[in-house]
Amino acid sequence: MQLDPRGVRFAATITTVVLALVLITGSGWLALAQAVVFALPSLFGMRLSPYGALFRVLVRPRLGPPAETEDAAPVRFSQTVGLVFTIVAAAGYLGGLTALGVVATAFALAAAFLNAAFGFCLGCEMYGLIARARGARTA
Amino acid sequence: MSVTGLIVVLVVLAAASVVGVLLRARNGRIVTTAGRVTPGWELAGLAPQADDRVLLLQLSSPICTPCRQTAAQLTELSGTRDGLRHVEVDIAERPEVARTLDVMRTPTTVAFARDGRELLRVSGVPRRRELLEALDSELTCAR
Repeated sequence: MQLDPRGVRFAATITTVVLALVLITGSGWLALAQAVVFALPSLFGMRLSPYGALFRVLVRPRLGPPAETEDAAPVRFSQTVGLVFTIVAAAGYLGGLTALGVVATAFALAAAFLNAAFGFCLGCEMYGLIARARGARTA
Repeated sequence: MSVTGLIVVLVVLAAASVVGVLLRARNGRIVTTAGRVTPGWELAGLAPQADDRVLLLQLSSPICTPCRQTAAQLTELSGTRDGLRHVEVDIAERPEVARTLDVMRTPTTVAFARDGRELLRVSGVPRRRELLEALDSELTCAR
């Protein structure tokens, strides 16, 4: 499956705003809502991404067709990384471990912002490092 | 409303901006690494043929959009330029290649001369014209 890169950036921008709001309000429920937003495409594929759907309905009709498309697999992997961080964040805030919530949300915010502002997929880059660390351990 | 939260937001955005600018500046830039001798051809599973001058060993991972752009570009380049070989290895399958060459990011492309000397490295999608210019002397050297 191929994605419109502008849709990926659009989704990362909304994610950045939501995660900043989580930190400012300290709302574990908002973190949980963002975790659900990550969980849908992570578990069931990119077509079920809520922010992606928003892009297709509201933004895409106003733009021309994309100049290039992007493979869905790396983006889906990054949604899974986001899911892990936001679940930890929601658990931290809702379970009374506010510091844990703040740290996990801060990491997710940094990754979402790098994607939104620079088109840089931190979750995807990490994949190579993880593979390397695994190799080092078994070597 | 959490003041601490607001401060964290501002610090994270500032730090991520610095990282983003640095990564963008590094992406695709050629770093000359002449002098190191590493078994590039061996890692690629190749012995240089009579006409081979330069090996571009591309380290990729399966989850990596720029790796695919890099692969397409280097495949095209090696098809049009004599003496240039391109081999892509997946470091998820062969992590020892990343370890031997001390590579942290994908895609990273390492260029080797036929005698095994390392010439240069590029992380991110290489800039085509700059790469060809940097390899020109090695590609056109006496056969």
